Amino acid sequence: MSVPSTFDRLRSEFSSELAHVTTESELQTLRDRFLGRKKGAIVAIMRTVAEAPAESRPLLGRLANDLKSYIEAKIVEYRSTLSMKQDPAGTVDITLPGRTVTLGNVHPVTHLLERIQAIFSRMGYAITEGPEAEDDYHNFEALNMPLDHPARDMQDTFYLRSSLRFDHPKKSGDRFANLLRTHTSGMQIRYMETHEPPIRIIAPGVVYRRDSTDLTHLPMFHQVEGLVVSEHATMGDLKGTLETFLRELFDNKTQVMFRPSFFPYTEPSAEVFIGCLFCQRKGCAICKKTGWLEILGSGMVHPAVFEAVGYDSERYTGWAFGMGIERVAMLKYGVDDMRAFFENDLRFLEQHPY
Amino acid sequence: MKILLSWLREFVTIPVDLNELVTALNMRGFEVGSVDIPTQIPDHLRADEAILDIEVTMNRPDCLSIIGIAREIATIYDTPLKLPQQTTQGVTEDAQAKNDALSVVIEATDLCPHYIAGLVDVDVSESPEWMINRLQAIGIRPINNVVDSSNYVLMEMGHPTHAFDLEQLAGQALKIRRAKKGERIQTLDGVDRQLKKEMLVIADANQPQAIAGIMGGTTSEVSDNTRTVVIESAYFQPTSVRHTSKQLGLSTEASYRFERGADVCGPALALARVHTLLEKIGAVRKRGPIINQYPVPFEKSSIRLRHSRLRRLLGQTIEKELLVRLLENLGFKLVPLVGPELPDDDNWWNVEVPSHRIDVHREADIIEEIARHYGYDRLPTTFPPLTQPPDPIGPWLEQARLIRRILTTSGFSEAITFTFIDRSAAVAFHQERELVELANPLSEQLTVLRPSLLPGIIDSLVYNRRRERHDIRLFELGNCFSLVDGESPRVAMICTGASNADHWSGPTRSLDLFDIKGVVERLCNAFGVKPEFDVLSNQTLVPGRAASVRTKPTPPEGSDGSKQIELGNFGQLSPTVAEAHGFPSKIDEVYVAEIDLRALTQISLSRDSFRVKPPPRYPSMVRDLSILLDESLPASSVRESIRSVAGQTLAEIKEFDRYRGEGIPKGLVSLSLRLTFQSSERTLTDTEVQQTMTAVVSALEKTYNASVR
Repeated sequence: MSVPSTFDRLRSEFSSELAHVTTESELQTLRDRFLGRKKGAIVAIMRTVAEAPAESRPLLGRLANDLKSYIEAKIVEYRSTLSMKQDPAGTVDITLPGRTVTLGNVHPVTHLLERIQAIFSRMGYAITEGPEAEDDYHNFEALNMPLDHPARDMQDTFYLRSSLRFDHPKKSGDRFANLLRTHTSGMQIRYMETHEPPIRIIAPGVVYRRDSTDLTHLPMFHQVEGLVVSEHATMGDLKGTLETFLRELFDNKTQVMFRPSFFPYTEPSAEVFIGCLFCQRKGCAICKKTGWLEILGSGMVHPAVFEAVGYDSERYTGWAFGMGIERVAMLKYGVDDMRAFFENDLRFLEQHPY
Repeated sequence: MKILLSWLREFVTIPVDLNELVTALNMRGFEVGSVDIPTQIPDHLRADEAILDIEVTMNRPDCLSIIGIAREIATIYDTPLKLPQQTTQGVTEDAQAKNDALSVVIEATDLCPHYIAGLVDVDVSESPEWMINRLQAIGIRPINNVVDSSNYVLMEMGHPTHAFDLEQLAGQALKIRRAKKGERIQTLDGVDRQLKKEMLVIADANQPQAIAGIMGGTTSEVSDNTRTVVIESAYFQPTSVRHTSKQLGLSTEASYRFERGADVCGPALALARVHTLLEKIGAVRKRGPIINQYPVPFEKSSIRLRHSRLRRLLGQTIEKELLVRLLENLGFKLVPLVGPELPDDDNWWNVEVPSHRIDVHREADIIEEIARHYGYDRLPTTFPPLTQPPDPIGPWLEQARLIRRILTTSGFSEAITFTFIDRSAAVAFHQERELVELANPLSEQLTVLRPSLLPGIIDSLVYNRRRERHDIRLFELGNCFSLVDGESPRVAMICTGASNADHWSGPTRSLDLFDIKGVVERLCNAFGVKPEFDVLSNQTLVPGRAASVRTKPTPPEGSDGSKQIELGNFGQLSPTVAEAHGFPSKIDEVYVAEIDLRALTQISLSRDSFRVKPPPRYPSMVRDLSILLDESLPASSVRESIRSVAGQTLAEIKEFDRYRGEGIPKGLVSLSLRLTFQSSERTLTDTEVQQTMTAVVSALEKTYNASVR
């Protein structure tokens, strides 16, 4: 029999005997039999290693040492198991911290995006993807904001010094990206260009505005926009869907208010407010004493948008909405400075429950 | 827009208290930002007085006026709108023929379709107290009775007017024209401005006297010595005013309204109102002639409104009596359409749009007006039926989720950094000529779109390290930009510190290169991609501790092989780079990795094609092997050689020890490998495994001059 298989034999012998040990003294006997300084099995095998041919000595030595540490570890382990069985109280300080594997956390913005996507997925919405570097047509023109439209000033835009090729040039015609998207609406246009109604989508992603930085404004933030197009979409559906969404995202008692507003790509347009989360609508600094927090922009899709993508604006109606994720996150998680989302301070990132 | 309550009450009766009014305005789209009690008003006038600061959306310039807001309130409460009593008779007469006091010529009729100039002999003095009080209450500085009257009308009607001193106009002429090359004007704010040739100006025979719709010039400014003024009341094309205002960085109450769109029929009324006011406050010595140039007449627009369309859009019918009343109160004129071609069960109207409603162009705009005043809160709350299945979730989202799961379970937390970074930080990671630059960066620092996620995530690591954090693991998923590759998604990882969490039971081990490599391998495995690693020499990574990650995708059927695809790289971050980002330690090692997800996902195996292999039914046999080799020989070569000799029964090779030093000759290394043999068909025999081992050993001896220890 070769020497390596002796190791295997000893290992399995030890294991099977260990399984039968029930007391501390039995464990000590077993230990002595294998690890005893004079008559222990390991010591015996070490001696045969010393007598082995020189070329196989290093390997055998290593194997012997492996076995030795294996047995030592098993005995220590079994001893604590044994003592716990025999004396359940007092032997282990269970107030000492447990051992954990280091886990990371996804970003709070991702948490919220995932949550929002899950709610809308359940309501039958597809999730679209699209480029961050956009062309003027998809970011503005197709959204009823032709060149020189004053509404473009509402979304201060970062422009690229040289235009950028799109990933899928075929789909984009001969257009090139020349700006950073100011909203994710371009994805909705792209989706309508390639799909026929009925449509139910959300478009999540990062957007860019050339805003000066303060507690509630950053040049880069995330958005989720949504679009529904069918022969029957009404403003009532818009109200019902957004109420459902907001009550699931916040809580089912959330009060929701719709108020007229203006966006170039929707008509009628509505701003959506929720009852202030911080003062039960009594009025506080966060809601500026109004009792309401603005949370979404929305409205019925402007017929000019349908015409831009070649939809029959008589046959189809639709509605759209959009929200800034960092703003929602600030309200939902009680963050008072938007910059916290981009500093990546682990003391901030790690707080969010998994 | 600041609105003085008492001023507002001149035009409309408000049947509710202030709080109710504020709510009602809010619910019609006029957000009342604040309600202040004015301080400038004398005490005896303060009872029941307030200043409402109303946010007017950009589509409603008609409501940048007291009368505009009054019209909304009149509609809310169905009470009459009391417009100021005045006649425009004098304005409409064509006085040009019988007048030679001033010649008015519109050259740029595209930018100015309507211009009226009214001459008035005046006594310039201070305005009466009531006028000064009202203007001051809403933040307008009183100047003199002429300018104040103009401003008063601006606030009341929303139509800007301007007064020139006639005697200062060279040649007694006004020309509405584009500026000439090199022309300059000193505007009323005292700034000398260079004009560009597309800017519209009001010029006399020699030079510009005003920038149209924005601000007048000092030369023809009304002063105490002015005897005759020319009151300009005109319509200027919005885009032109906006461009000029933007280019000059000059925004005024006038430009704010013209650039949004003034009432094209407003000039006559506004001029008449200025006349009436000047007379009322005793500033007029004698009314002079009025020159009315109206080369491009306004055409009234009409829109067809269908009751059925309203229901389709809003999801609810609104009684026709109510919608007619709401629209008429807002100034629309409705004529019911009749005829055999109309459907029996519907009501159609022809709706004439008042000239001040520059925002109403289509049926949807009219429907919004009705919905707005009907109340969004009264519309039904319904839920749309799902009529077809949604598209499956996009590939990128699913992959992003998978990556997040792998990396968070590996202890990395997700970071999000800005897409724009410093040029100097970018050039360390990418060729400068391929960088995508912003044309209008926010600051001089953040000027290029990141070509790599690493500069940003290094900053995040440094941010944490400077806040007493030693064990840091971060990752970021995001798009990178290059002029050559366009926009492409990547993932980057960075780590420093201990590999395991501190625990009372034992010590921690520092992270090393093989920790980051393990994460890269795990990532590739998750995508079904077999990574290959090559030594990489790269200015951002420590030499000898950096690798590129490549893969050779399974060739598509019928082709005879495929190229290696570059996936990314990993390694120890060069201390120079770390230092450049402000990393405070010279000792601590930082490891980074970056993977191109476009490449990874293109070649990743479809998860749909995944099939379970049954667990092995026959026992495995394990053999250990210790060999001495040249230390420069890569472990991967040894593994390859063993695999090629051992054949199919070799299930796994694992390096379990690598040793240099005492007992090992210089230049050599002792490498110990554990080989696991297994067959899915039978139990292997000791003999056949031993034969394989012998073949392996002799191959290693032959190929690498290796010796078994």
